[in-house]
Amino acid sequence: MSQRTRKLLSYTVSVVAILFLFQISLTTGIVHVHESIWSLVGKNSVDSNTVWQLRFPRVLGALIIGAALGVAGAVAQGIFRNPLAEPTLIGLSSGATLGTIVVIATGVGSFGTRSIVAGAVGGAALTALLVQWLAPAKGFGFLLTGIAISSILTSVAGLLISMSAKPGIQSLSFWDFGSLSLLNNQSVGMIAPYLEAGVILAFFVSRKLDIYSLGDHSASYMGVDPRRLRLWAVLALALLVGPAVSAVGSIAFLGLLVPHIVRLLVGPAHRRLLSLSALVGAIVLMLADLIARTSFEPNEIPLGLITSLLGAPVLIILLKVKRASWVSND
Amino acid sequence: MINVQGLTFSRGERTILNNFSMTLAQGELVLLSGENGSGKTTLLQLIGGVLTPSAGAITFNDRKLSELSTTEQAKVRAIAPARRQFTLAYTVQEVLDFVPKNDRAAHPDQMIESLGLRDLLERKVTELSTGQQERVSVGLALMQEADFYLLDEPFSAQDQGNTQNILQLLTALKKTKGVLVISHNQDALRSYFDREIMLEEPY
Repeated sequence: MSQRTRKLLSYTVSVVAILFLFQISLTTGIVHVHESIWSLVGKNSVDSNTVWQLRFPRVLGALIIGAALGVAGAVAQGIFRNPLAEPTLIGLSSGATLGTIVVIATGVGSFGTRSIVAGAVGGAALTALLVQWLAPAKGFGFLLTGIAISSILTSVAGLLISMSAKPGIQSLSFWDFGSLSLLNNQSVGMIAPYLEAGVILAFFVSRKLDIYSLGDHSASYMGVDPRRLRLWAVLALALLVGPAVSAVGSIAFLGLLVPHIVRLLVGPAHRRLLSLSALVGAIVLMLADLIARTSFEPNEIPLGLITSLLGAPVLIILLKVKRASWVSND
Repeated sequence: MINVQGLTFSRGERTILNNFSMTLAQGELVLLSGENGSGKTTLLQLIGGVLTPSAGAITFNDRKLSELSTTEQAKVRAIAPARRQFTLAYTVQEVLDFVPKNDRAAHPDQMIESLGLRDLLERKVTELSTGQQERVSVGLALMQEADFYLLDEPFSAQDQGNTQNILQLLTALKKTKGVLVISHNQDALRSYFDREIMLEEPY
């Protein structure tokens, strides 16, 4: 198969899969819907509420959050020049969690409000800036500083949770596993603008990430200021990861695996990598959530388990049948 | 004109460049030679703006390097560093396309031909030999439109035939551009160059 055909096929199959999953997810669940879901639009019935008030935001949320996490993973691996990088690793998720907890613990806002999303984005962005400011410019310093800051923030968040008397704050530990069950039309509406801004910013830096892959010196020689690029990239990551964490918690593995799968399909060029990572990220999360909520009804399986179980074997198979997309410098 | 005046650079106790001056004008092909550790690559990094000198000044067409942004510097000079490392499996064509369309040199086809990259365009750069990767690296620099081209060890992994081809390409390039080549293995090549700058250890 030629490169061109494979690229075209990857995009077509992804879009069809998303449409298919969207339809299936709306019609499947504990409540069996008898009519066509489209005939239920605007009606006030149990079926209509089930489909459009409960399932729709959850499916749409899975789509946009999956897409955001896929893009975030690709940006993180590009900006850290490290195949093991993901936004969680450099503390953006812990920063977002901490921001949320601070908002709740100080009484500024309660769960499911706009101030929570803002707190999460703020926490992630501050973490990003802190990492940028503290990290040495060279080598693995950037990544290692991020890991160190991440562990500090996780501990501080844990301390705040144990010390706080606010009711319900302990249930925040659901974030450790991730769940889409709390999504509603309102919360999806609140996080969407941030994710959109993050995706736009990510595409804005995507071309530069290709040049940046050659190293800081080569990037400078070609007119890309590596420090400035890192700043834009981590801000994009904060916009993509913060809202996702505030709404559904940390979802394991997705940001790490999706870009690797995509690179093996269409190569490493970042524009294509980012766009297809968005599509594949959406597919993985939609499929994972569908399985999580339907396979052992009425119980839900933690989402992180499914994303790992789905994603990891796919990666192993692709690594077996395809040649490496990322070589080490040994 | 690239003008380097009284450049001094130290790393820790060691002075690598001491009050060093040179020029590079459009229309000349210059060889920069010197022993290992004589500061050739350091000089390139200073001109490339990734190191800051402790004394002295560098100007591009009468504008101070320190006052130019990273983007502005890239429009004046293109640099091929030695042993550029390719870690992601881009095709050779994708690597050459790193240069945004508006910043590309006028006639890349001739360059691609001379560097023997034509048949490699669809190959993954990570799967090429060291010599082939070196030519891709030179190609990436020559793909950029600029007044000056600075190439660090562009022949270190090339056989005689390829070295000749690259030198002929650079000779054609110097009609309108200034070209500086860093090489420590220069005896057979001297005749191609308009002049040679020898870097010696300061002590």
